[in-house]
Amino acid sequence: MKVTVDMNVCQDHGQCAIAAPDVFQISAEGKLEYIGNPDDAMREYVEEAADACPVQAITVDA
Amino acid sequence: MQTTTVPALDVANVSFSITSTEVHAAREQSWYASTPYGVAVLRYDEMSRLLKHPNLRQGSVAWPAHNGVVEGPFARWWASWILNKEGPDHHRLRRLMNPAFSPKLIGGLVPRFQSLAGELIDGFAHSDQCEFVSEFAEPYAARVIAIMLGLPEHEWPTVARASATIGLAMGVTIREDLPQIEEALNCLYEYADALIADRRADPREDFVTTLVNASRPEDGRLSDTELRDGLVLLIFGGFDTTRNQLGLAVQTFSAHLDQWELLARRPELGKSAVEEVMRVNPTVRWVTREVRDDFEFEGLELAAGTTIHLYSESAGTDPRVFSGGFDITAERKPHFGFGGGAHHCLGHFVARSDMSEALPLLARRMRDIRLLPGDSWLPDSGNTAPIRLPVGFTPGA
Repeated sequence: MKVTVDMNVCQDHGQCAIAAPDVFQISAEGKLEYIGNPDDAMREYVEEAADACPVQAITVDA
Repeated sequence: MQTTTVPALDVANVSFSITSTEVHAAREQSWYASTPYGVAVLRYDEMSRLLKHPNLRQGSVAWPAHNGVVEGPFARWWASWILNKEGPDHHRLRRLMNPAFSPKLIGGLVPRFQSLAGELIDGFAHSDQCEFVSEFAEPYAARVIAIMLGLPEHEWPTVARASATIGLAMGVTIREDLPQIEEALNCLYEYADALIADRRADPREDFVTTLVNASRPEDGRLSDTELRDGLVLLIFGGFDTTRNQLGLAVQTFSAHLDQWELLARRPELGKSAVEEVMRVNPTVRWVTREVRDDFEFEGLELAAGTTIHLYSESAGTDPRVFSGGFDITAERKPHFGFGGGAHHCLGHFVARSDMSEALPLLARRMRDIRLLPGDSWLPDSGNTAPIRLPVGFTPGA
């Protein structure tokens, strides 16, 4: 699956890292880092992350 | 060196206004001020960085103790708040509660928000005045949370009365208000217990049933105590801030009638109206953080345990970042009215949606709003709002 975060919109709140910590992480500097092509087994968590993003910056493609 | 130029703010004083010219003047002198609670952050850039700073944790956990409230039902309930949890416990609770407030779910509720707002306005719009808090803000906020949680809407006065009283705990008078706060808390506990018993006996396709199921021993994601504490928090949190923010919106627009008129003509500006009101007049006047380990920030040594209050209105009106005054058509940087980071407001999609539907309808039906005598207010710090807000207007179609 393909995951994209619009980094112009992202505010590094880190809600995605709570929902799907294997895909999204907040670095020691407080910045979002993520895996753009996670295993499809992660889909449920990635969709939960996209839903929870306060600024709705996450797009999930098939 | 710095201590000689750092302003001191007497914010624990009930008459102190956190949006006063004194605070704005302090902001021009320094990015921070000292307060009886610790440090106050006054500028946008510093607030933005500290809001999500990895060396800080959420700091509200210490608020009752700061005010001498260290034991009893309220102190125990406060400690249970998801807002006051960190790490795995916080993440577990957050993931259980998120689905109730997902943007997908809320989109489907917009027609109900619209008809509710219309019904409430019909109740007073034949006249040319209303008491905005009791006739609109309270029933609207309480019935929206009833819709979200599947509570009977006609029970809204119970929810509203108890939640408004508990809201006093967010202010500097918490200690003297404690007896009535604990009485109201007990009322919401009884309410939550009845709700839990009902869903255990008669499960539904709703969020409360989902939470009740998560508390079953074979599920184990939620304890019984967490379930009732959490439900009381959802009821209170869903009501109090929305009621407050609606009253503050009317206050702001009454001083900007051209913008109110514009909103009546262009209801699609409802969303940006909510953002702009929350930038200049947020109910959550400060967002609280606590220093985890000693560190230095912009030349200031911050010791572990220090409370940092981030002043949302001061940051939201910082002239380094914002210009042009109150303008619902302006493109703005994000405000901090919903906090940020791991503890970003759980219910913000609902709050944004219900207020962005309500405000344009109010603007259309209540032309030329003006504040009338008889208003009363919570202290202008902590979480603020009008308690009573008589408003005169010209009825609109």
